[in-house]
Parts: sequence; C-alpha cells; structure tokens
Amino acid sequence: MSDEILSFENLTVQFGGVRACDAIDGHVKRGSLFALIGPNGAGKTTLVNAISGVYKPLPGAQVQFHPAGKPTEDLLSYRPFQIARLGVARTFQNLGLFMGENVLTNLLLGRYIHEHTRLIEGGLFTRRAVKRELAARQAIERVVDLLDLGAFKREPVGDLPYGVQKRVEFGRVLAMEPELLMLDEPMAGMSVDEKQDMIRYIYAAQDELDMTVFLIEHDMSVVMSIADHVMVLDFGQKIAEGTPAEMQQDERVIAAYLGTEMAEN
Amino acid sequence: MTAVDNPAPQQEDSPTYRPSPVQRFLPFAIAAVVPFILGSTTENVNFWWKALITVVVLAVVARMAWVWTPRGELTHREDMRLWRTPSDRSWAAVTTFGLLVLPFILASDFTPPMDFPWATWFAVVNLVLIFAMGAAAFNLLVGYSGQISLAHVAFLALGSIVGGIVGVQWSGGNMWVALPAAALAGAVVGAISGLPALRLKHLYLLLATFGFHFVMMLVWREYLQEYFGFVGIRFKGENSPRIASWLHWLPGIDPDDNGEFIITGQFRWYWVLMPITVLSILFMVNVVRTREGRAFAAVRDRDVSASLLGINVARSKLLAFALSSAVVSMSGVLASFYIGSRGEDSFNVQTVLNYAIIIVVGGFSSIQGAIFGSAFFWFLPEWFKWAREELWIVRDIDFLSDYPSEIDLAIKGFLVVIILMFKPDGLAGLWKDVKGWIGRSLARRGP
Repeated sequence: MSDEILSFENLTVQFGGVRACDAIDGHVKRGSLFALIGPNGAGKTTLVNAISGVYKPLPGAQVQFHPAGKPTEDLLSYRPFQIARLGVARTFQNLGLFMGENVLTNLLLGRYIHEHTRLIEGGLFTRRAVKRELAARQAIERVVDLLDLGAFKREPVGDLPYGVQKRVEFGRVLAMEPELLMLDEPMAGMSVDEKQDMIRYIYAAQDELDMTVFLIEHDMSVVMSIADHVMVLDFGQKIAEGTPAEMQQDERVIAAYLGTEMAEN
Repeated sequence: MTAVDNPAPQQEDSPTYRPSPVQRFLPFAIAAVVPFILGSTTENVNFWWKALITVVVLAVVARMAWVWTPRGELTHREDMRLWRTPSDRSWAAVTTFGLLVLPFILASDFTPPMDFPWATWFAVVNLVLIFAMGAAAFNLLVGYSGQISLAHVAFLALGSIVGGIVGVQWSGGNMWVALPAAALAGAVVGAISGLPALRLKHLYLLLATFGFHFVMMLVWREYLQEYFGFVGIRFKGENSPRIASWLHWLPGIDPDDNGEFIITGQFRWYWVLMPITVLSILFMVNVVRTREGRAFAAVRDRDVSASLLGINVARSKLLAFALSSAVVSMSGVLASFYIGSRGEDSFNVQTVLNYAIIIVVGGFSSIQGAIFGSAFFWFLPEWFKWAREELWIVRDIDFLSDYPSEIDLAIKGFLVVIILMFKPDGLAGLWKDVKGWIGRSLARRGP
C-alpha cells in the first residue's frame, strides 16, 4: 500500500441519466506517471473532477489519498479547497487562469496554500507579511526559470499566446508543490515544439520535484512515450489498463480509438 | 531604417531606465515652494506645525529622489514596492506634497479672478476625502472582488448608529472611540450581509443586498425615533471630537481660549480626515497586493478554479464583505461628525447610485479610480455653478439658471455615458494615459 499515492474504487458519476464514469477502479503508484486516455466524451475529465472534489460521485465510491508520512485521507469527505491543501493539484483542459491578472499574480496564487499571510497583516504590510511575500516570490521565480516564463512576468495572461498560457497554468500547479499533480490535457492545441517542451517540463516535475503525475492526454504518441502506466476509458467504462506497450496491442483499445471495423480488419 | 535611427522607447520599469535631470530635480523644485505657501496662510497655525510639514515634505522628496538612483537589476523586494517605477515615485512625491500643502493653499487669502469658487473648495476637498474612502471600499467589494452589492448606504447608516451610540449617547465616548467600534461592527454586520453571496451571483446578489439596505434603513429609523426623535442626531457642539488635554503638547495643537482643542472648521477637519483616508486606502491597496487580495480577484474571475488552488471561496467572499463594510462604516462615522447632524432622510437610495457613479466614472476595480471619481463627483457641480453665474455667455442663458440641479444631473449623466463609451476604465485609465504621456515626454531620449 505504501507505494500507492491515490486509489479510487467503484467511482461512479452520474448526470441525469448519463453515467459519465461507471464504477471505475484505479491505483496510482507514488512517483509514477499515470496516464488516462480515451476518446472524446469517455469521462476522463469527469474522473479528475470527481477526484479533485468538483463533482460528487454516487455513494459507494471510495477515493483514498496517501500523502507521504501522513495518515491516509478519504478525499470524498473534503471540499475542493481542502483537497488542494492536502496536496492534490490539477490544471484545466480549457485553462483555469485569471485572464485579467498578470503572470506573476497567477503564479503567486499557486502559493496561496503555503504563505499564510492574514488579511490584516497584509493590509498593514508588516515585516512578516513582506517576508512571506518574498518567500512566495522566490518560490515562483524558480518556477519562472524552470518554465522560461521570464519574458512574460508582467503581461496580463489574457494577452499571451495559448501555448504560453498553458505553461503558466502548469507553472501555477507546480508552485503549489503538490504530491499529486493532475494535468488535464496539458498539450491540447499545442505545436510539436511546444509539446516537446511540455514533455520536458512534466519530466522535470516528476523527477526533480518528486511529484506523481496523473496525466489526461489525447495524443497517443505522447502517452506511449512518457507514461509508466496507462488506463483507457471509453463511454465511462474502464476498458483496459496496463503498460503503454500492452495498451498498443490491446484489441479493445484499438477498437475504441479506431472503430470496431478497423480492428476486425 | 536601422535600430540606431529608431531606438526602442525606454521602458519605465526596466532596470536600466535612467530618469532625466528634469524628472530627478522636479520634486526639489516643488518642495522649494513650501515655505512660501506656508508663510502666506491666514489660518492660525503655529510655527511648529509648519516646520513639521516642511520637514516631512523635504524628507519625502529626498527619499523619492534617492530611490531614483538606478542600481542595476531590481531585487524582488524592490520589485514589490508600491511605487516601482521612477514615474510612480515622482507622482507619489507630488501627491504627498499636494496633500500636505493643499490645506495651507486653501486657507490662504488668495482671491481668484471671476469669483472662481475657491472659498468653497475646502469643504469640497473634505467631502472628497470622506467619499474617496467609502468609494474605495465600495470598489474593493464590487469592482475588485466582483460581489455586486447595494448595501453601501446601509453601512454608512451603521456608522451613524455606532457614532450615535458610542460617540453621542455614551458619555465616556467620542468620535475616536466610535471609529474602531464602527470598523468592528461594520466587519461583523458586513460578513452577515455577505451571506447571500455564498449562494447568489450578479443581479440576484444585487437584489439580496438591496434587501439588506431596506432592513438597515428600518433599523436606522427605529433607532432614531427611540432615542432622538425627529430632530435627528446632533454630532456637533458638545459632541464634536476634540483633542484630549493630555495631548495638547503635540506640535500644531494650540488650544482655544476655553482651553480645549475642538475639531471644527475645515482646516482642522482636513488634518483628521486626510490621514484616516490615506491610511485606510493604503491598507486596502496593501490587501489587494498580498495573499488575501489576490484571492479576492481569483474568486471574482473563476471561483471553481480558485477553490482548486486551495482558496476557501466562501471565506474569501465574506472577508471581502467584512473589509469593505468596516471601512465604509468608518467613513459613515466620519461623515456624521463632519456634517454635524444625521436625520431620518440622510440616507436614501440616491446615495447608492451616487457611489455607483463615482466608481464607474473613476474606473471599475481601481482603488485610485475611487479617488478620481469622488473628486469628479464633488467638484463638477461647483464648476457648473460657477459657470452658470460667472462664465461669459453661459451666465446669460436663463434656462441654465432656472433648472440648476436638473441640468447638473443631466450633464453628469451625459459625462458618465461618454466615459463608459470612450474610456471604459474611467478616469483612472485616462490618468494612466496622461501619466505615460508626461513620462515619455520628460524621459531622456536616445540610446
């Protein structure tokens, strides 16, 4: 058990009559790169939303988070902001950035859970508040350096190109220093070069910052090259799970991606 | 065209930016005028007060000029400064200078040509200070935190109630005690008034807070009739704030003939209102640029995404309500004691709209805009009045002087529409453009 960081069992999310996720089980190993793939509408984002507390799964589900050196937490009993404070951070498929604010502000918001300046301290701008602001600033400067965001620090995020915005959002979850990093299609809509960069950054997060990465991705070639473990969803069902090489051979996976006829041929 | 022919414009916030000699010595030039202004004032101010003002002005100017000296790359601490760029710092110096010297100018015996409404300005300036404080707090809640609230006047009334209880009814109390009491009461009641914000957004929240406005009006009327009757609360006379006798040794405190120092008259009020307004606005500016203030903006923009950053959205919203209401209640206390009396009809819906005009004209979600907005709001009628009475040709149009208040309102409304159409970020945005223009024309050209 100790090498697992996240385990979910019997996870079902229902919207009206639609089961977006149907009794899904899964185990994420600490320090690994876990990839969740599947065609459009397979329920990948819904699964992440259920884990991070945005959606409530049906009763009977179990989501357990095992932080290093701390007792196991049942994530279903927490609200989203509490889950974030436990060390589970995530990005959004269609960006969860604050478009009017500049890059620094967006990144500093990632330090919200670490630098505990109270409102009155902040208002009086006490020595302690300044010290904490500086600590937050230093932490995000490391992220800025890692992600090559130095040129954009004071630009409003809304004015930046899409690829850079994706990087800023990734930087913001890195600044949160989570144990489990959930990335919802971090490479969607990116050029080949930008994808290469992003893969490099994800590796950096996994190896240098010791984060476990839970990756949702559309691009099979990317997943096959970087993932340690792959889970495939289709129409809310888990259809296969295993190493990337196994998934490439799996008939159900090929059928889900290419259609049944192709698979029969 | 090569790069040498057309050098890139210097960026104000680049570390290698060098201010021009004009920019660097402008503050000293301005400061040199101080003794003359202070010498010509008619107000009975003692020497020590004038000396103190002079020293403070010179210190500010020296500090501003000193930090201009470029020292390579900005450290993170330097980058965090409220006044980062040389242009910010020079404007801060000019503002400080203006705030400290303005009362002496207004109290001088200068007679402007064409009966320009100079004499009434002092009262207007004091009202602008009170309104700027309230409007900045209103803007923090509505503009910056995105919680549409119409309960603003309710908190002005709460300030008057606390002022009445603590400053008037309680024999041991006065305005100085009423101010923190109002801040505390405002924070608690404000957080309660913000509870609908946890479920409602936008127009629905507006209606819920408007309901709170009417509840508060009911409380105000009941309180007034129970203890004061129809005359209303009198904050003047024996209830006026005063400086306690054990503080009379302070510089600038010259007790009156009866041995007391009562805060009365525009000049003394200015020195009460200005520091309180400046400090509360600085407090809010600091909140906005630190952790909780960033969370306000995050909750405004995307609350789901904010909650996944670990921000307790409910707490953050209530905190915004509490902070804003605390400051508004304090401005309510100040307004009550400054104006001198509060009656049944002192608070109405019109006042909420006035504050809305102030923040829209000044610039939405800009605390600076609240100051511009309230100056606009109070100075414009004065100028209109003067134009109607004195300005060539305009004074001959009977129609204008027959319907003064209607015309004022119409022009104000027209200007609001114009500003919304052509400058959606309001006077604060306009000021930014002007500042950039002045900065660029002053900055040294060339590579």
